[in-house]
Amino acid sequence: MHRRNFLQLAAAAPVFGSTLVENPIYRTFSNHTPQNPPGMPGRYPGTAIRVRSGKSIDSLTGKVDAPTVRAMLSKGMQALTGQDQDRDAWASFFEPSDVVGIKVNCSGAPKVMSTPEVVAGIVQNLIGVGVKAKQIWIYERFPDQLQSVHYDRLVPAGVNIYGVEQQRGSIIGYDPKTYVEVDFFGEDDTRSNLVRLVADRFTKIVNVPNMKDHGAAGVTGCLKNIAYGNFSNVARSHHHEKTNTLSFIGTLASVEPLRSRTVLNVMDGLRGIWHGGPFAKSPKFYFYPKQLVFGTDPVALDRLLIDVIEDKRKAEGAVSVWDRSMKNIQQKGGDLDPNVNRFIREPGHIAQAGRFGLGVYDLDQIRLTQLEV
Amino acid sequence: MSLFLAALLPCLVWDQDATALAKRGIDRVCPSAQVDLKAVEKLPAPGVQYRINEASASRSPWLDGNGWRIQRTKKKQVYYDVQGDGASLAAVEAYAYGADAIIKSDGKGLDQLAGMWPFLKKLAPADLPTMANIGLVDDGAPVTGELMNLLSRYNLLFRILTAPDPHLDLNVKIGSREYPKAEALNPNLLSHKIRSQLTDEKRLLRIYGSEVVLGHLTGDGERVRLHLIDYAKRPVEGLRVRVLGVYPRHEVAVFGAPDAKLLDYSVEGGATEFTLASLTRYAVIDLFSK
Repeated sequence: MHRRNFLQLAAAAPVFGSTLVENPIYRTFSNHTPQNPPGMPGRYPGTAIRVRSGKSIDSLTGKVDAPTVRAMLSKGMQALTGQDQDRDAWASFFEPSDVVGIKVNCSGAPKVMSTPEVVAGIVQNLIGVGVKAKQIWIYERFPDQLQSVHYDRLVPAGVNIYGVEQQRGSIIGYDPKTYVEVDFFGEDDTRSNLVRLVADRFTKIVNVPNMKDHGAAGVTGCLKNIAYGNFSNVARSHHHEKTNTLSFIGTLASVEPLRSRTVLNVMDGLRGIWHGGPFAKSPKFYFYPKQLVFGTDPVALDRLLIDVIEDKRKAEGAVSVWDRSMKNIQQKGGDLDPNVNRFIREPGHIAQAGRFGLGVYDLDQIRLTQLEV
Repeated sequence: MSLFLAALLPCLVWDQDATALAKRGIDRVCPSAQVDLKAVEKLPAPGVQYRINEASASRSPWLDGNGWRIQRTKKKQVYYDVQGDGASLAAVEAYAYGADAIIKSDGKGLDQLAGMWPFLKKLAPADLPTMANIGLVDDGAPVTGELMNLLSRYNLLFRILTAPDPHLDLNVKIGSREYPKAEALNPNLLSHKIRSQLTDEKRLLRIYGSEVVLGHLTGDGERVRLHLIDYAKRPVEGLRVRVLGVYPRHEVAVFGAPDAKLLDYSVEGGATEFTLASLTRYAVIDLFSK
């Protein structure tokens, strides 16, 4: 029998190997102890500050208005912290000795990603509280995606711009002692390791996700960006139509020191993707929420994100992110048809992360402040 | 093939003036007239094929390795007819598994062999027995061979036996009540069953960070020699290895990287772990318990 046939049989068989483990057993290995309180849910659990501005980005050209973005950052951070000066607002999170990682999201780059003007604004504020440029790291797992954005054009010299996997799949940029071990479907490499800089150098992390649909996770916001964006070997969780994203995302986000060091989330919703995410394969799925959302609680921010994506999908006549019907699942064509998906989406990963203690999921308990610039 | 590995460099099929080869360091030559193709085990070209569509169940690249064939054959010599950089891969594969190999290749293959030869020649010999978790009773059937192939593919270390060995963690005999013949018709599933019965914790060898590196472990309790072979054409950047056992001392030889060191070396929880920053084709790592 040819090996191809063995593999096909394996895919169809209901027992060992190559079939999904419904309730995977996670084992976390870390020598780091949590800070008190940990960064997530942080100082402001259940709190979200949404700042909108119609001037922030031109929906036709995609041009970003940097002064407006700076004003949005200012308003959002002051509202979150209760401070009336930017410096005081940022200083309530960061001090000059900090080494700060800015976790951007570039999987939809160069079209939809953590906007350079937003990231530059964050860098400017960090420098404003005394953090030296060389102590600031803008980072993402994949250098090709990161470099396509050209953050270097907007941030001061000395700021580090770092892609973890210099060769795709390389584990050299990850910490061998901090990892989650889990077997999803009989894969041989059962470890997902934390980015080494997070384990060894960063003292704080600012998480800058986008507002995007995600074929496997349902939506991708704070939790997905901080979890899958900081660990190796994560795509294995969506190997089959039924994925393990439901529990894997929150598990990874809970790993120390990632959890404790992620002190601030700035969700960049200037642009968004309402279908086909996390990539930006077709402009017809881009949209412009024209907002930034601030908070320390990733669950609360992501709970609000579900509604943003769901409302947009509803307006476009697309199936819900909660849809679990197998008739809408196809391995091919889903990226361009909003009623087809490759996976069963798991927006429930956000509630699951709430159950892990990472934040507040219940809308009734989330205090949302909405502001305009 | 012998349970013990003898350091043996391959013999290159060559009908021209051998002095030209000697100048390039290759000093073992077999004139084609002296090669009896009926007496040797002919092996397919080792390597990796990225057949994503066909191997969709695993999305793992297709890997053609011959370690299991070398272990299985009763013939004294193996024979490769390989082109290009398949020649160096054949040479290290044969070396790692202690095979007396004859290699026929082309000009590019000759260049590859000439590059690999000094590295192999410099390696200190180590006649150590093959280490394994699993004993596989060989009935000679093709399906048992395919099981060997898949166990190798997943770095599930086995030894080929004529009868079960109670000293091993697990013994597998196709056709037994535990491993019926019907189950063996799907060797991939069977290999996963064997893995789950063995448990990952007991595995003598784990390799993280690559799907194209196979390991071969030999040792005697005090000393372990690990052969790591990169079957792909490009280097593997970052490879984490876990060897069961306490080995505080080590020596490393990595082809193309004379100054290579093992990174993040740790001995904890009854296992030894380390990272190899880069692996181009072949590395030999000796671990010592004292």
